[in-house]
Amino acid sequence: MIRQILQVLLLLGALPAMAHAQETNGTIQESEWVAYKERFVAENGRVIDDANGRISHSEGQGYGLLLALLANDRADFARIWTFTNTRLLLRDDGLAVWKWDPDAEPHVSDPNNASDGDLLIAYALARAGTQWNDARFTDAARQIATALADEAVFEQNDRLMLRPGVVGFGADDRPDGPVVNLSYWVFEAFPVLAELVPAVDWEALGRGGLDLAREAGFGARKLPSDWISIADEAQPAEGFPAEFSYNAVRIPLYLMRAGLDDTALLRRFREGIAGANGGLALVDVRSGEVKEELMDVGYRIIPALADCVLDGTPLPAELKQFAPTAYYPSTLHLLGLSYAREEQQQCL
Amino acid sequence: MPVAARVLGRACLAGFIAAVVGGAAIAHAQHHWPINDDHISGETTDTVAAPFPVQDVPTAAEQMPPALVQAQASGAAPAPDAPQKVDESALRYFARQGDTKRLEIEIARLRALYPQWTPPADPLAVPVNVDEKLEAMWQLYSEGRLAAAQEAIADRRSEEPDWQPPQDLLDRLALAEARERLVNASEIDQYATVIRMGSENPQLLTCGEVDVLWRVAEAFAQTDRQTRARDAYRYILDNCDNQQERLATIQNASRQLTPPLLDELLALERTADGGVGEFEPVRDDLARDAVARGGDDATATVPAEQLARVEQLARQGNAASDARLLGWYYLVRDNHAEAETWFRMAREREDSAEASQGLALALMARGQHEEAEAITYRWRDESDEIRAVYLAAAANLLGTDPRPTLSEDVLGRIVAEVVAARDVPGARQLGWYARAWEQHQTAGQWFSTALRWDPDDEPSAYGLALTRHLLGDTAGLAELKRIWAGRSDRIRDVGDGRVEPAPIAPALPRAPTATPQRSEGESQPSAAAAAPQAAAQPRTAAPSRRSCTSHADPRQLSAEAALQRGWCLMDANRPMEAVDAFAVALGGSSEKTRRDAAWGQSLAYLRVELVDEAAVAATAQPQDARRANELQRSILAQRAAGAFERGRYVETLLALDERARIAPERLDLMVLRGYAYLNLRRINDAQRVFEALAATGSREGVKGLAEVRDALTPSR
Repeated sequence: MIRQILQVLLLLGALPAMAHAQETNGTIQESEWVAYKERFVAENGRVIDDANGRISHSEGQGYGLLLALLANDRADFARIWTFTNTRLLLRDDGLAVWKWDPDAEPHVSDPNNASDGDLLIAYALARAGTQWNDARFTDAARQIATALADEAVFEQNDRLMLRPGVVGFGADDRPDGPVVNLSYWVFEAFPVLAELVPAVDWEALGRGGLDLAREAGFGARKLPSDWISIADEAQPAEGFPAEFSYNAVRIPLYLMRAGLDDTALLRRFREGIAGANGGLALVDVRSGEVKEELMDVGYRIIPALADCVLDGTPLPAELKQFAPTAYYPSTLHLLGLSYAREEQQQCL
Repeated sequence: MPVAARVLGRACLAGFIAAVVGGAAIAHAQHHWPINDDHISGETTDTVAAPFPVQDVPTAAEQMPPALVQAQASGAAPAPDAPQKVDESALRYFARQGDTKRLEIEIARLRALYPQWTPPADPLAVPVNVDEKLEAMWQLYSEGRLAAAQEAIADRRSEEPDWQPPQDLLDRLALAEARERLVNASEIDQYATVIRMGSENPQLLTCGEVDVLWRVAEAFAQTDRQTRARDAYRYILDNCDNQQERLATIQNASRQLTPPLLDELLALERTADGGVGEFEPVRDDLARDAVARGGDDATATVPAEQLARVEQLARQGNAASDARLLGWYYLVRDNHAEAETWFRMAREREDSAEASQGLALALMARGQHEEAEAITYRWRDESDEIRAVYLAAAANLLGTDPRPTLSEDVLGRIVAEVVAARDVPGARQLGWYARAWEQHQTAGQWFSTALRWDPDDEPSAYGLALTRHLLGDTAGLAELKRIWAGRSDRIRDVGDGRVEPAPIAPALPRAPTATPQRSEGESQPSAAAAAPQAAAQPRTAAPSRRSCTSHADPRQLSAEAALQRGWCLMDANRPMEAVDAFAVALGGSSEKTRRDAAWGQSLAYLRVELVDEAAVAATAQPQDARRANELQRSILAQRAAGAFERGRYVETLLALDERARIAPERLDLMVLRGYAYLNLRRINDAQRVFEALAATGSREGVKGLAEVRDALTPSR
């Protein structure tokens, strides 16, 4: 499992032997990474969300860093980090502004953060610092993780929770607050950050998210909505569509990547997201109605991986081929392939 | 010198380098501003500042996060006496590229890092760097393609595990990234990040990076550290020679600093051979800014030199804008004659809504309503504000005593505008105007119209009642009395024989005195103020009512005159002043006068909702001395609070001062005093009061001190 391997890697990090790590191949193939970056990464290291007005955001920069790391491409990691550092890591509290718009002047108009972006960036930096033995990355990871713990991790009903953004989601901000987004729990990051910033109980934060995932199975399909009110018993948050949608589709992928062995939970997701045509279903969690079935390979790999992990069904051939489509599903696709190669080779 | 050098072609480069390297042209640039050094505040930096003042511990107020202190410590320069290997590759690269600006900065940087180092006499003479990959990295760096440069370095490290990038290149890339972060953070007001970047990278704070220094200064100013901001600006003025940048520094500082701190910077002005100060071009604008502030805020102090400067600019130039500034400046200070002069000048040069509005307000204050109406008519559609001024002028014109004979044109357009705006005071005043010309049917229609637009407008109802009575419309009068039963005594009394019929001519309407609001938002400056006053005070038979618009000390008046003035002030809805006038009347010899005065004072108190005082005033006459003192204290406290609520801070202080003469100040009144000072921008006085309060353990005092600090931080 990734978590255990990471812990081993971290232990090894102190040893000179690790200097050779960069010579090993990544779990994302060079051709795949080249195809991805030529499509979605600008020369200045900006990761472009091409389905979203070609904006960039902290989430995309975090994914870009993570994918470059998984492809073991230090040079691309460096340039994506340069953009992230100089254009987004501007906030007084040390977190990243969430959005950078090429058509707006100034490019940053909203100083708010998005905690999943911060978490992904810190996680990728922490792993990069170890993988390439570069203290600059480790230091930056530590600073962001510390700021995230200070600003966005909070306790609710004896659980540690993650605020989606520093501002606007708390109990004081909305009648149904606090509101959280389960897909912001990048579970695989917590063991890494626990090594880096041990003063924070990252494991408890992961546990809090996992408990919430078990609890927030709404409606007939037992799926969480993207945005969940945790003021009381978990329920779909006001003011957002009560839907399992583009945010939440990542949750089962994150669960698998983190090697969390709650097969009952994974099976619940697998059954909930099943579309009639083999795609990934977006669901109105109150009525159970399927709003849309996503057929992009990048989405379809998620239920397919779950089938493999749960039942040993190998991935269909077309999902094993990577060709860039749009930023978000292509990102998920590479994260899925990387996971299969690293942890589930029987699926390939 | 550096500016001129920058425009030289490459051919002149060698000469330039020789000049830079050999001469004192950038002697100052080798310093950077010691951002974390709080101790040199107030001194000029004519000694060589150490590049990394790590030994300087910031004061508690300025303390940086510990991480930053460590970051600086780890960046400390090598001991100056240690033998040094100075990497000159960047310097030579920029020399070859003809990039004099960067060359200059690089020389300054190396000098700061290595005080013992001597720049090469001719950087161009050195053999060309043959490492093409490294050359390409420098190229990317110099083009500002920082991400691509980082990529190239990482690429090469992967390909050539033994290769080490030059530390200089890494440092410069890190510095360039820090600079970019600082600038980007500054763009979105993330001031802590700006200061953090500056603290961690003091090499950025040099004459070569004046823009960065400006941004750091702004970040300090915006986070309540004015003196640190001043220090940053002063660093530039002490050390940097670029004339445009020096001027811009003063302009920036004028937006961020309080006038006293700005004055310190202005004192650093250099004077050219001709005796002209270098800041002369900005001094005009600074004076304009000051006068403009004075026009927005009647309590702002504008130095005489600046006022005189703008007056001279207005006289000498052709623009209307300076004259307009002066018009507002004098208008809000109730110097209506001066205001009139300047607004007239502004209109002669360029007629505008703003100048016409200002002139109209000045004219109305001097009773010249006819011209006020005439000059604002043209502009009435420009804004709600000037329309309100026009309607006020029109209402005042109609109410002028003796009644003016208006041309059909003027009367016609007033009627059209009053109807279009559904202006209640205007309609009511048209009623009085018609009544004055004995056109009672018309008068009745205007009063009815006004009532239709505002059924609660008592003066219109009163006018209508008088008209119906005069026309013998008993049923109509009775209906009005029924509607207003319990709400208006004077309507109740119309026609019952106990009072004289109201005089035909209404009192002169009060000229608008509200400070004009030239900003958007709560405008409506004076329409309400233009409401014509009630025709008469039925309770007293006052055949010729004197205007009470002028400020007069009631203590100078006879008891009877004071009583009249009290009623007049009541009509003008100035009950606090009426209280004073009635108070004088209370001292009269006639029992009737005293009784009326007590009654009037109680009404006045009721009008300002000082119910207890009203009760006292109505029943306890005469009063013994102790009681009077108690009453006076209480009244003054209430008056202070009332004045404060209405935003009249000078009056607040007057009342508090008066009260302080007869009794010690209570803590709650000290709070009031503090905020009154604060609102008048008498920051030092406010601070003194809140400090005294805080010393008693008052939370209000502590809160007040926080407000004082906020007030010291000018908003953008």
